[in-house]
Amino acid sequence: MSKQYLTAHTVDEAHPAEIFSLAPTPTSLFSASGASSLRVHSTTETTFPLQQTIPNAHKLGCHHVCTARGGQGAVAASVGFGGEIKVWTKNEEDGAWSLDCELPPSKQKQQQQANGGGGGGGGDVWAIALSSDEGYLACTTSDGRIHVWDIAALEMIQTYETGARGAGSFAMAVDLSQDGRLTASGHESGGVYVFNNDAGRMVYSLSGLANPVRAVAFSPGCKRLAAAGNAGVIAIYDMEHGEHVGNLTAPSSRPAWITSLDWNDTGEYLLSGSLDGKVKVWDVARGVCVATHSETDTALWSVRWLPKTERALGPGMGKSEKFCAAGASRSITFYREATGS
Amino acid sequence: MPALEHNVIQVPSAIPRGALSRIEALLESIVDAISSGTELIIPYKTARSLQNGTNAPASQSGDRQTEVVRFPGRTVQEAKKFEALFRIIEMSHEALLSGSVVTKRNIYYQNPDLFKSQSVVDDMVDNLALSLGVGRQDLNIVAAAKGLISGPIELILRDGSSHSCDIPGDTGMLLPSTTSIHTINFRSTRWLLVIEKEATFRTLAASQYCKSSRAGHGILITAKGFPDLATRRFLSMVQTVRPELEFFALVDFDPHGVAIMRTYKYGSQRLVHEENATAPRLRWLGIRSEDVLTNALPSRQEASESAQDQSSQDPASQESVAYSFDGSSQNERPVKRARISRTAGPSDSILPLTQRDRKKAVEIMGDIAGTEQRDRDGADQMRELQRMLMLNIKAEIQAVDNYGDIADWLDGKLSM
Repeated sequence: MSKQYLTAHTVDEAHPAEIFSLAPTPTSLFSASGASSLRVHSTTETTFPLQQTIPNAHKLGCHHVCTARGGQGAVAASVGFGGEIKVWTKNEEDGAWSLDCELPPSKQKQQQQANGGGGGGGGDVWAIALSSDEGYLACTTSDGRIHVWDIAALEMIQTYETGARGAGSFAMAVDLSQDGRLTASGHESGGVYVFNNDAGRMVYSLSGLANPVRAVAFSPGCKRLAAAGNAGVIAIYDMEHGEHVGNLTAPSSRPAWITSLDWNDTGEYLLSGSLDGKVKVWDVARGVCVATHSETDTALWSVRWLPKTERALGPGMGKSEKFCAAGASRSITFYREATGS
Repeated sequence: MPALEHNVIQVPSAIPRGALSRIEALLESIVDAISSGTELIIPYKTARSLQNGTNAPASQSGDRQTEVVRFPGRTVQEAKKFEALFRIIEMSHEALLSGSVVTKRNIYYQNPDLFKSQSVVDDMVDNLALSLGVGRQDLNIVAAAKGLISGPIELILRDGSSHSCDIPGDTGMLLPSTTSIHTINFRSTRWLLVIEKEATFRTLAASQYCKSSRAGHGILITAKGFPDLATRRFLSMVQTVRPELEFFALVDFDPHGVAIMRTYKYGSQRLVHEENATAPRLRWLGIRSEDVLTNALPSRQEASESAQDQSSQDPASQESVAYSFDGSSQNERPVKRARISRTAGPSDSILPLTQRDRKKAVEIMGDIAGTEQRDRDGADQMRELQRMLMLNIKAEIQAVDNYGDIADWLDGKLSM
């Protein structure tokens, strides 16, 4: 059975430059772009109004912003093109976001050297992911490492290597499982690696995608990992045994590069966004695409489900499942399920 | 006056900036110092000390060292440096007196033991020009010609000789020094294209693209990679004397290509003291992310065509998307002037960025963000660099030039 999603609202010109990343909390949505400010939109009202603009967050623009999947929505983190990592927290009283801390770059360097990194100052920071308790941040580097930070302590507590020291393949994507047990990374080489955070070591090196991997995502139950990228195919891996259990592909077309993946709250559906401007909803169990939207033919950089929330929603918002997409068009489009309860 | 006459434009001769008098004053002070037995001093600023100078008052003593070179000096190195500098000043003086021009290479070969390497001479000449507050050209010191030009125009030099830049069978003429050009007959040329790669330049020159372009007649120029001052000066001069000519740059889609385009347009940081070496009207023709992405994404038609051969869904068998449509574009080879979106580049023209590329891109983005006015061009460059980093790809000019026919692509872009 195919699913019906409708365009609920489009925030035009949400940023003055291309939007590279979206990150939802239970009540709002962060967006980051090639311009220096971050923006926060309310997701409890039908017009998705702008709640807050955080000016001068990243001078050279921001390529990744993240919040915790299944988290409270009190912490967000962002990485700028200049390589700076900033952590933002929400004031409980007025709901306004402000800078909590910037992960010290000198410490990044020092610790890399202490960990035997040295050579060439290490790669720049790229993708990030927050643990669901909002206490830990995983970030990848262009030389193939994954660093895990304890945010409160401002300490780097773990570094995973994926190649020879400082010579690993660019880690373009990262995710943390909601139970906090696993970290996954996707690489330029096509490699997908899974690490056990308790043991502090790699548990799976997953094959199947020979092309750059631009997105990795754990299912909410932490049983599955989805990975996708230039191959235009979504590979699904089982996390019990590290096996490749299937691919999601659109049979009728030569697929475009996939830039973004997200599981819905129940783990039944996967959302994908690609460079040809298409956002797709996949039924994972049946392995089929159940909905395709292409409001734009310019690149999509980020697609995200909005978490279901118990909180009071504005009139007209309903309880149906929603997702959003953004990219080169600089606008954010929100979709909702048509046949909801 | 005949209608064609307005295409013949006289190049104003450079106004001397008093280099001769400054050099003579310097030489005089040295002679005075010798006769009075005091230390000999040559002022010597470096571009780096200039940049740091404003915000580094702490290193006072250090600054003094870089601001002058003394003889006999405190070290053997300083004495040698003094000797080398003095040789350059002497040669520049001679050249200025006789009205001739000396090349940097010539200076080096006059005394290779003293200078040790060509780059030492290059740096010293630039720093000397900076210290004296003049341009390198004002010292009558030039780099050996590097730039090439091709197009249906005619250059008449100050020595009376005339040079056609479009001799059939010729794939480019060495660009003469801007000061030696007296008159340029632009004829009916409407555009000027600066090309990063010599190979692309030669291909286009050999095929007489300057005359066959659908955008009308034009001029091709290359500096064979990173632009030299002579080529930049030529562009700057042409932009001034011929305002109706449109200026375009064709560079690789990588940080280095962007840096080259920016150097032509805004000048270089190392040679900020050089005047008349920018071409602000230069437009970045390509190649751009959209050119690469058009190739990386299937066109609608392609998508339906490929539906049949999609039985194999093993992702490992899927090469990069750009590569994967080589098969179908080969079938379309006989179709002349095919649409660009269907002619995908070979996979080896799209490569991942290296760590150095990524670092360089961030550096340029810092430069753009650092300039006060973020104009449209700046925002445009920023966006392309950000996309480059997001996609983590670079592409050479050849990406739009498969089968060696870049002409179609240029036709489309130049007449836009």
